[in-house]
Amino acid sequence: MSLIELRDVRKIYRIGDIEIRALDGVSLEIHEGEYIAIIGPSGSGKSTLMHVLGCLDRVTEGHVRIDDVDVSRAGSDRLARTRNEKIGFVFQSFNLLPRLNVLENVELPLVYSGIGKSERRRRALEAVAAVGLSDRTGNRPNQLSGGQCQRVAIARALVNRPRIILADEPTGALDSRTGRAIMDLFRELSQRGHTVALVTHDANVASEAARQIVLRDGKIV
Amino acid sequence: MKILMGIAEGFGEIRAHKFRSFLTMLGVVLGVASLLAMFALTAGIAKGYREVMSQMGGLERVKVRTEPVPSHQESIRELSPGRTYKDAQALRRNAPLLSWISPELDTYLPVRRADKTESFQVIGVEEDYLHTERHNVEHGRFLSDKDRWDHSRVCVIGRGVVERLWDDPEGVPLGESVRIGNEIFRVVGIFQRYESDQDKKRRELKAKHPPPPPQAGTRSRSRSRWSTFRFKNDVVVVPITTFSTVFKNTKQAGTPEEGSELKLDDLNVQVADLEMFEEALAQIRQVLMVTHRGIEDFSVETRQEMFDEMNTSLRNLHMSFGLIAGISLLVGGIGIMNIMLASISERIREIGIRRAVGARSADIFGQIVIESTVLAALGGVFGLGAALGLMRVLEAMSPVQNRPVVEPSAVIMSLTFAVGVGVLAGLYPAWRAAKLSPIEALRYE
Repeated sequence: MSLIELRDVRKIYRIGDIEIRALDGVSLEIHEGEYIAIIGPSGSGKSTLMHVLGCLDRVTEGHVRIDDVDVSRAGSDRLARTRNEKIGFVFQSFNLLPRLNVLENVELPLVYSGIGKSERRRRALEAVAAVGLSDRTGNRPNQLSGGQCQRVAIARALVNRPRIILADEPTGALDSRTGRAIMDLFRELSQRGHTVALVTHDANVASEAARQIVLRDGKIV
Repeated sequence: MKILMGIAEGFGEIRAHKFRSFLTMLGVVLGVASLLAMFALTAGIAKGYREVMSQMGGLERVKVRTEPVPSHQESIRELSPGRTYKDAQALRRNAPLLSWISPELDTYLPVRRADKTESFQVIGVEEDYLHTERHNVEHGRFLSDKDRWDHSRVCVIGRGVVERLWDDPEGVPLGESVRIGNEIFRVVGIFQRYESDQDKKRRELKAKHPPPPPQAGTRSRSRSRWSTFRFKNDVVVVPITTFSTVFKNTKQAGTPEEGSELKLDDLNVQVADLEMFEEALAQIRQVLMVTHRGIEDFSVETRQEMFDEMNTSLRNLHMSFGLIAGISLLVGGIGIMNIMLASISERIREIGIRRAVGARSADIFGQIVIESTVLAALGGVFGLGAALGLMRVLEAMSPVQNRPVVEPSAVIMSLTFAVGVGVLAGLYPAWRAAKLSPIEALRYE
């Protein structure tokens, strides 16, 4: 059984009279433990696909099943819970909260799942250790390098033990050496059994993944 | 749990923008301070009023006044004897709704003791006077019916008289003699000292830490300070019979008990039961119409109007002060709303991140409302501090009996208002923040 299943998904934006088919009949299955890359030029719909996979957005048509639950028509609270429990995000620009330290940033998803303080701390420390930043738990994001920030973001994505990690251009803001290290980390996570989906326009990055999905004009080619 | 975290976040937000938060809070600080000061000031004024009213005999005391004869009765004016001792007797017999009836004669006379002479109000009274004026005899006794029958030359004096004629203001000169006008009277009783709570505290403090011996000038200055209670302390009371023979030179026929035509300077009565107040007034009229032979040359003065006026002015005071305080709180609230709106547009990205990791819109909404409430509540607490400072200033400025009184209920009310303002001011920004779409919020640069 697939972990994520998209069937005939369309996402249509209307701006005035113009209709933009960001996703135009996408069907896709992602299995547990897979490491896939979604690749395509800008405007191909890969960001929209990422939002749909990440339950940040609803679809216009078609069905999205995550962990055997249909979320294509779910309300915003339901989507929030699904994001919280099943999905870990890694963004290009890290998206850490500047006023929180490393540990607090990593704890954030657990706050919204209503987990108690000591358990939060324990799990956050575990996730920070998994990305090799145990010695920086008290630092704020502005005291860290870009690569370290991205590791914090990955730890945050891992902390809730999600079913899938979605990474949107995770190396886009990093120099190539640091980017390399982050890609190594993703491979390591994949080898440990995590399901990882990368969204990128960089063919080199995409080549890391075992399976590549190429998007063009809202369709898988 | 989430609320506690929200409060912690709110404090974090304030710490991160100390100056901005301070400026934002200032409105609430001023609002709460003026609100509390308003409560305290009006409570103080109300307390002052109550003290004075109670010392003056309360609502139960009613005064019978003389009035000019109405014009349509001008031709028969000779028929009415005016306000005489007979009125008092008639009321005693025929007005059961009155508990005490005090006919009085009074005048200002020089009172001399040793080498000191001062002018005091000297009042000729009967035993009922003690009750209508709510006097308390602290030392000795009050005038008795025997004093009245014997036309005794005895007097009961107020504490103010002792203070001004004797060297020791706390002395008990019972049995000593004073010269009132040209007659010698023996002091048989001394009233207690009447004073406001504030005066009492001040006096007790002075007694504990005696000031350097007063010079002649300073003493008279402190004495001349106006006090509501002075009229009650500076009084010399003698039997009405003695007064009339000695000071009025009236050789009236018979004693008062036989129903003299002695004209009174004052006639005060006390209504037994406030529930029957109107009925008692009617009774007074009825009885006096008979003794005055149908001529309406008197009126009945009650404290009702005074009480009503007092309540009206208190209410007006409350309203105008409340309006001012309300406006500052409103301004404070707008300030908070403004800053929360600025704060969320600064933090759109943060909101997006929180949404992405699983915050529901309700979580975001709650967070913003809590932040604005924390801001307002903190402002409220500072406002309390400011109010206490303000109170010192007001205390120095306002008259003694109107000393501001900080009631716990006023503190709670002011804080509640501050918190309420915080919640209200947070609602709109919170709604704006909560309805942001997570994707747009994340994309926001």
